[in-house]
Amino acid sequence: MRRVSTLLWQIAIGLGALAVWEWGWTFHDRLPWLVPDLLDPYFVSRPSVIFQQFLSMSCLVGRDGTWTFAADGAFARCMAKSENNLWIATYVTLRNTLWGFLTGVSSGFALGLLLGRSDRLSEIFYPYITAFNSIPRIALAPIIILAFGIGDASKVVTAWLVVVFLVFFNTFEGARAVERDHINAARLLGASEWQVTRTVIVPSTMAWLFASLTPAISFSLIGVIVGEFIGAEHGIGRMIIEAEARGEAAGMMVAVFVLMIAGVILSSLVRRLQAYLLRWRPAQQLSS
Amino acid sequence: MPSTPPEAAAACCRIEIDKLRKGFLAPASQGGREVVAVDDASFRINDGEFVALLGPSGCGKSTILNMVATLIPPTSGDIRVDGAPVTFGRPIRQVGYVFQKDTLFPWRTIEDNIGYALELAGVPAAERKTRVAEAIHQAGLDGFGRFYPSSLSGGMRQRVSLMRTLISQPEILLMDEPFGALDTHTKLDMHSVLLSLWERQRQTVLFVTHDLGEALTLADRIILMSARPGRVKQDFKVDFPRPRDAVALRETRRYAELFSLVWHSLGEEFAKGRSA
Repeated sequence: MRRVSTLLWQIAIGLGALAVWEWGWTFHDRLPWLVPDLLDPYFVSRPSVIFQQFLSMSCLVGRDGTWTFAADGAFARCMAKSENNLWIATYVTLRNTLWGFLTGVSSGFALGLLLGRSDRLSEIFYPYITAFNSIPRIALAPIIILAFGIGDASKVVTAWLVVVFLVFFNTFEGARAVERDHINAARLLGASEWQVTRTVIVPSTMAWLFASLTPAISFSLIGVIVGEFIGAEHGIGRMIIEAEARGEAAGMMVAVFVLMIAGVILSSLVRRLQAYLLRWRPAQQLSS
Repeated sequence: MPSTPPEAAAACCRIEIDKLRKGFLAPASQGGREVVAVDDASFRINDGEFVALLGPSGCGKSTILNMVATLIPPTSGDIRVDGAPVTFGRPIRQVGYVFQKDTLFPWRTIEDNIGYALELAGVPAAERKTRVAEAIHQAGLDGFGRFYPSSLSGGMRQRVSLMRTLISQPEILLMDEPFGALDTHTKLDMHSVLLSLWERQRQTVLFVTHDLGEALTLADRIILMSARPGRVKQDFKVDFPRPRDAVALRETRRYAELFSLVWHSLGEEFAKGRSA
């Protein structure tokens, strides 16, 4: 019962917001104190226009206003017209996000484990890590574009840079928090140093790594988009910048919605992966 | 590592502790003085003997156990297992250890926890499976093999801990208040489990506890420790016949007699511990 009422409220709020967005501006002249200037369709467009824009950007509807799948080859012709159409842009952005995520998570984990388990190394590198961590990662994006060009490499590197520190710090903490008793138990059961690392330190640290996966995927997407803002051949970020240059609010909004949907799907996939990998945890810890 | 000639081991005992001493340095904020946890402790444990090390909390009994287990280094004195001196940080193969705290690996299922030592030793998967299944059955945990430790009760987890140690068939078993965190009923239950397992294998056991009833139920001998600094105060023989029934035993006359005999001596140490 409660779930149904929650759902109803959620739908009502969503529809209400869309209605204000769609028709709010028509009351601007009569009620200027109620409708802020920000609702001007020049800035934020309108849901109906955004939807139309989405249909044409995705080549689902051709320039003549008919569905492309009704006419033979119309979809392919439309797709061929732009080399940064919505599909290619989404594909490129997601691919680079995934690469940034994978490289960032694996290298962050390896570094965190290494420094977390070695007091000597962490002592030596401590000031450098703190210093690098204080740099807002995004500030390095222009340098990365300069060094790696406007292709995919620079986007992956930007995303990697954003992800690697996040994962590193989590892993580092986790590697230091491995329970002494677990290590002792393994040793007393006959584990060699290498076996202790493989069967106790790594799995125990993994729990901390998994906790950082959900933010890591979002961070990776942010890194890629920022990289694309500065210079790219393909991608949603470039699409937003282009639409802005043309003063096309609807085009930007389509890109933003695509990013929103991509973000929701990515993080729910990662959350599922995380729940599976951490299935040994007590249930109450999982839900929190 | 050179193996000890059997006659050397037979000459004395399985575990020999000689003038063992352990001091801890208190933090500078508390004066930085040395706190003596164990002072001049000496005793021997024979093959197949079940010995309880009994004493008030803080008397250093766990410290002795941890030194035998090579988890902490002694300040001075000697520990020999089967005639060979033990070295800090180098666990002895024939010695098994059961912790007071739950040290099961939470990311491993019950069967993977129990089979851990076999996995380390490279026992083939098929053999491992049979031995683990048998251990699970012995511990009365049938059907729980695929569960994770977090979904088991404290008593069940401690049974898994016990089997995880016993599966590699150690000849010497060191136990650090393994049932200290359990409620009375579960504890009695665990005593029965341990007795039946032990009566089959007859390992040499050094069992640390502060519970006199537990010591009487399980052990052949009780070594009573004095309050800090820990010294060996008295050595009692517990001559109840075996096999023992952990519950029925408590209703016998001999149990009551021994209980009051040791209790009197133990009570003095508790009182000393309080005033210290």
